[in-house]
Parts: sequence; C-alpha cells; structure tokens
Amino acid sequence: MQVRLSKRINELLVLAVLERGPAHGYQIALSVEERTGGAFSFQHGTLYPILHRLEAENRVRGEWGGGGRRRKTYEITDAGRADLEAGADELERQFRALMRLLGGTHAA
Amino acid sequence: MRRRRPHPLADVERDLDVSPRHRLDLLEEVSADAEGLRGELERRGHPPERARRAALNQVVPAEEALAELEAQHAPRLGRWVRAAGWGDRVERLGIATGAVLAGAAACVALARSGPLGSAPALAWPQVVVVALLAANWTRAAKRLWIDGDLRPEPRRHLWQRQAGLIVAAVALGALGAAWEGYGAYETLAAADFAPSATWAAVRRIIACAAVGLGTAIFGLFGWLAITPRLINDEMIERRIAAFFAASRPPPTPSRRR
Repeated sequence: MQVRLSKRINELLVLAVLERGPAHGYQIALSVEERTGGAFSFQHGTLYPILHRLEAENRVRGEWGGGGRRRKTYEITDAGRADLEAGADELERQFRALMRLLGGTHAA
Repeated sequence: MRRRRPHPLADVERDLDVSPRHRLDLLEEVSADAEGLRGELERRGHPPERARRAALNQVVPAEEALAELEAQHAPRLGRWVRAAGWGDRVERLGIATGAVLAGAAACVALARSGPLGSAPALAWPQVVVVALLAANWTRAAKRLWIDGDLRPEPRRHLWQRQAGLIVAAVALGALGAAWEGYGAYETLAAADFAPSATWAAVRRIIACAAVGLGTAIFGLFGWLAITPRLINDEMIERRIAAFFAASRPPPTPSRRR
C-alpha cells in the first residue's frame, strides 16, 4: 500500500511538472524539489524508473535532441494530462479521508 | 603521480543488466542530466566540487533504481518467463530439450546413413557434439532474449565453444569417412573393386562426411541466426566505450605521503 501510494505520488509529481512544459530529467527533479519546498525530492536516480515507466505507458513522450551530445527531453501527452487530473482528484479524496481519521484520533 | 578518478557512471554500466541499447540510452541521459544539474547548481552559487557531487548524488541510479530499470527494460519474453515463475528453469529446460531433440535427430540421421555399423565409435561423439551445440546455442539465446544482456566476455566464451564444436564435428566427419574408406579398402581389393561394392563403400564414406558437415552447418547456422543481434550489440558496446572515453573526467592528483 505504502509503496504503491508513493509510486503514484511520484508519478503525479512528474506529470505536474511536465504540465508546465517540456523538461529534461534534472529540470524535473529540481522543479519538484523547489515546488514542494523540499518535501519531495528524487535522489540516487529514482526519477528515471518513473520517467521510463510513464514513457512506456505513453503518459509522457521522451525525445532525444542536442547537437554533439544527446539529451532527452520529456513532455506530457494527452493521456498523461488525463491521468494527472484523475490522479489528483483521487489523491485529494484519499488525503481528506486520511486527515479526517488523523484529526479524529488527535482530537480524541 | 596522477591517478584517474573512476567514471561516475562506470558502476551503472557494470551493474545494469539490460541490452546495450538501453544501457547506452540511460548512460547518455544520466550523463547529460548530471552535467545540466551541475551547471544549474553552479549558477546558483554552489562551489564546483559540491555542485558536481550533489548532481551525481541526485541523478546517478543506485541499487533500487537500477533494479527497477532492469525490470522495466527486460525483454518482453524475459518478463513473461519471470512472471510465470520460470526464470530459473528455462535455461535448463531449453538445454535439455535442445540436447534431446538434437541427439534424437542425429541418431536418426546416423541410423539412416548407415555409419553406425562400421564406425559406432565416431557416431556417438557426433551425437554428443550436436547436443552440445544445441545447449551452447540455447544458453546464448537465453541470455539475449530472456535476460536481455550478453556481455563481451561470456559472448566470446560461447562463440569459442561453438567454433570448437563445429571444428570437432567436421573432424569427426572426416575421421569417420577415412575410417570407412580404410575398412572398405581390403574388401574392395579382394572383390577386384566391383562397381556395386565400390559404390556402396563410397556411399558410406560420403554419409560419414555428410553427417560431420551437417552437424557443422547446424552449429554454424544456429549461430548465424543470432549474429545480427550480436553485431548490433557489439556496435552499441563500441559506442558505450566511446562514451566513456569521451567523457572521462580529468585525472586527480593522488595525495603525497
């Protein structure tokens, strides 16, 4: 459950960054860290399995570019946008339920 | 005395068991990202060495990420085999099936061609050679299409073994033919080289040579079937070597005692 949830959150973080525009892997990692105030960060290359999975499932598109040196840029696809929207709603519902429970426990 | 610092992606290249194509893609992607992130951190005021270390720490895949990448980039057949729980058994099963089929085929071929009667001592080694050729090929194919990765060293060993077995098959065929010829000579001489007896002896000689040659062709064609993939892998491995040669970090001075 915990692994699945964190996997899903990581996917949504990446999709949310790419919704603003195409980016390289390191730009995605930096952006996630900055926009979440350091609450989430990708260390030790954990970003790549997420990106490659999203690419394999056609939720992001990866394109190689660059002159002498190959660089990969990712952009979100329509399927990725739809998934981001659905995922955000789902997470919001889950977290509300979680906070209700935690709030209740705290109050008791 | 100056000592070269190991390339930060050398461990990734060594530990990541995926096809060379995926390995090269990941190396180039991670390397470009590490470079981009280092530049960005330097622009933000980090000292160069700290920026470099932070960038590598962030983008270079560690054990967990490597395991996940391996699972993602495993060949489709390999993923299916593992999902079915046949990961460990497939090699043994493939080798056993290949060996049994090859052995049976060789037995039938030998029995039909007739050298079993006169040169059984050479017929059985032929069967063993066919079985070993099939086993060797299965091992190479399993590495390529189930594991996804056949590195240069094991690839060389497998090819050397295959080539050795092909040579052994030809040698056994030639030896069998010579044996048949030598055995038939005295009988033929006594019969004053009668055409029907001579023809029968020639047929047995040709059959022995043909079995040897057939075994060699079986081994050679088996290897030829996987050669396009091997050539492709080798070309990409050269690009991986060029990648490391081009992006080799500058040597760092070793500390003086």
